Amino acid sequence: MSFTKITQTYEWAFVGLDNFRRLFGGGDPLIPRIIKNTVIYVAGGLPVTIGVALLVSLLSMRMRRAAGLFFRAIFFLPRTIPPVVWGFLWAWGFEGTRYGIFNSILAGFGLSPIYWFIKYPMLIVIFANGFLGAALAMLVFTSAIEAIPVDYIRAAEVDGASFWQLSIYVIIPLLRWPILTMTIWHLMSFINSYVYIMLITKGGPYYATEVWSLYGYHSAFQTHQYGYGSSLMMVLILVNAILFVIIWKIFGIGRLLRPSGVEV
Amino acid sequence: MKVLRRAFPYLVLAIISVPFLTMYTAFFFQSVSERISLGIIPEKIGLSNFSFLWQPIPWGLEETSVWSVLLNTNLFALASGAIVTVVCLLAGYALSRIAFRGKSFFLSLQLMLHAFPGPIVLIAVFLFLLYLKLLYKIPGVALARASLEIPLGIWMIKGFFDAIPLDIERAAVVDGCSRLQVWYKIFLPLIKPGIAAVFIWGFLFAWHDFIYVYTLLPGKVRLMSTLIQGLIATEVMDYGLLAALSLFYMIPPLLLFIVLQKALLKVPVLGGKGGA
Repeated sequence: MSFTKITQTYEWAFVGLDNFRRLFGGGDPLIPRIIKNTVIYVAGGLPVTIGVALLVSLLSMRMRRAAGLFFRAIFFLPRTIPPVVWGFLWAWGFEGTRYGIFNSILAGFGLSPIYWFIKYPMLIVIFANGFLGAALAMLVFTSAIEAIPVDYIRAAEVDGASFWQLSIYVIIPLLRWPILTMTIWHLMSFINSYVYIMLITKGGPYYATEVWSLYGYHSAFQTHQYGYGSSLMMVLILVNAILFVIIWKIFGIGRLLRPSGVEV
Repeated sequence: MKVLRRAFPYLVLAIISVPFLTMYTAFFFQSVSERISLGIIPEKIGLSNFSFLWQPIPWGLEETSVWSVLLNTNLFALASGAIVTVVCLLAGYALSRIAFRGKSFFLSLQLMLHAFPGPIVLIAVFLFLLYLKLLYKIPGVALARASLEIPLGIWMIKGFFDAIPLDIERAAVVDGCSRLQVWYKIFLPLIKPGIAAVFIWGFLFAWHDFIYVYTLLPGKVRLMSTLIQGLIATEVMDYGLLAALSLFYMIPPLLLFIVLQKALLKVPVLGGKGGA
């Protein structure tokens, strides 16, 4: 499909590499902007995800059990509520009028409302997606930390290590495999995810949050260039496949394919 | 100093979670009060926002009854969950217990499909359903939606099948069971928790799904997620209604989970092998 030109009539017209020429040959004036947005989005979202997840799991392990569970529950909640509701919470929270949650708090202090979506659209989208990813990463990191033999941590504590020293020199090096997996995993999910952006800002204002995958969706379903949209998505699938091969090679998923069973 | 050090993790996490707590509490209070001031303080507590339960929701010029939407959503999610369960149970058994050519290729193919996430292949799915004349119909979209969950579901169910001792299967075969009889007389009762897990998996993803429903089921057949999105996209957001509706939207999966857990987590004893 990425080599065709399909429009509203849904007729297949083979156009060879035209779509890709338009993509990379400067035929589409929006492309540089979109690449820039995508890079900012991915590069901004990934540290938020991994950083928040690490911070929450490290800190919540140092607390009393109940308190740690409470904070982990708060940060895991985004995964359990439907995407539409999560989008609604952010769209409402940062609503530009005085009825938005944060603006109404600001109004309580006598401050005038801030037009969040016009001033910081990208930041909002990055945080909305970042915290969503952090929920999963946090779960993985927490169980990985729990799997560390407690002797290591005791030994470091006996040697007088502070919390930061303990985290940086003992725990994080032991967590490098989970961190690496989660980084690649979320890299993939950031590249592919456009649903939340669509729900929160719809790619606007003026293409400020239009990332590659969302642009692919819009070209297909808003301007009805299904062929062009497919070639945009095709590029993403190639990127995904490369990242996937990396995960595969590193972690040897092939081991999971051992045969089992009886012969009858 | 010591107190400070002990309080430190609580402080940091509390500061990070303040925006979330604000949003969650605002969300909850907004659903049960007419309006909220200062972000989180409810005023005039009452159930007026839940009036959509007994009267239709105004929607531009037309109106929608929440119950018909709920019925549609249920049909969609149940169909999707059922498809996922049946396909995964059959495929999982075959992949776990029968040796055939290309098995490991098939298994790795299922994992490889992860490089093609749902939102990315949406355009292809759209045209595919269009040519099959299944577009804009609940069964067709449920089928497409289910197909996304099947790869991981197969891996999940295969794990459950792998855990069953081979002796049980051998005993059944010796007693004269055919492959299919072994499957439904011996194995299905033993992996009830697996069935529950896969069904909930398929149901939940279909229930929560937005982008497939939004793109492939626009117009008349409206589901909960698209209804809420439509209400967000209107010019003036009715926050009270939206918050109440969102809460309502989140209840059925919880109910399903509780019911299924009770019904399906009772596993017959595995005998001398010391299973459940």
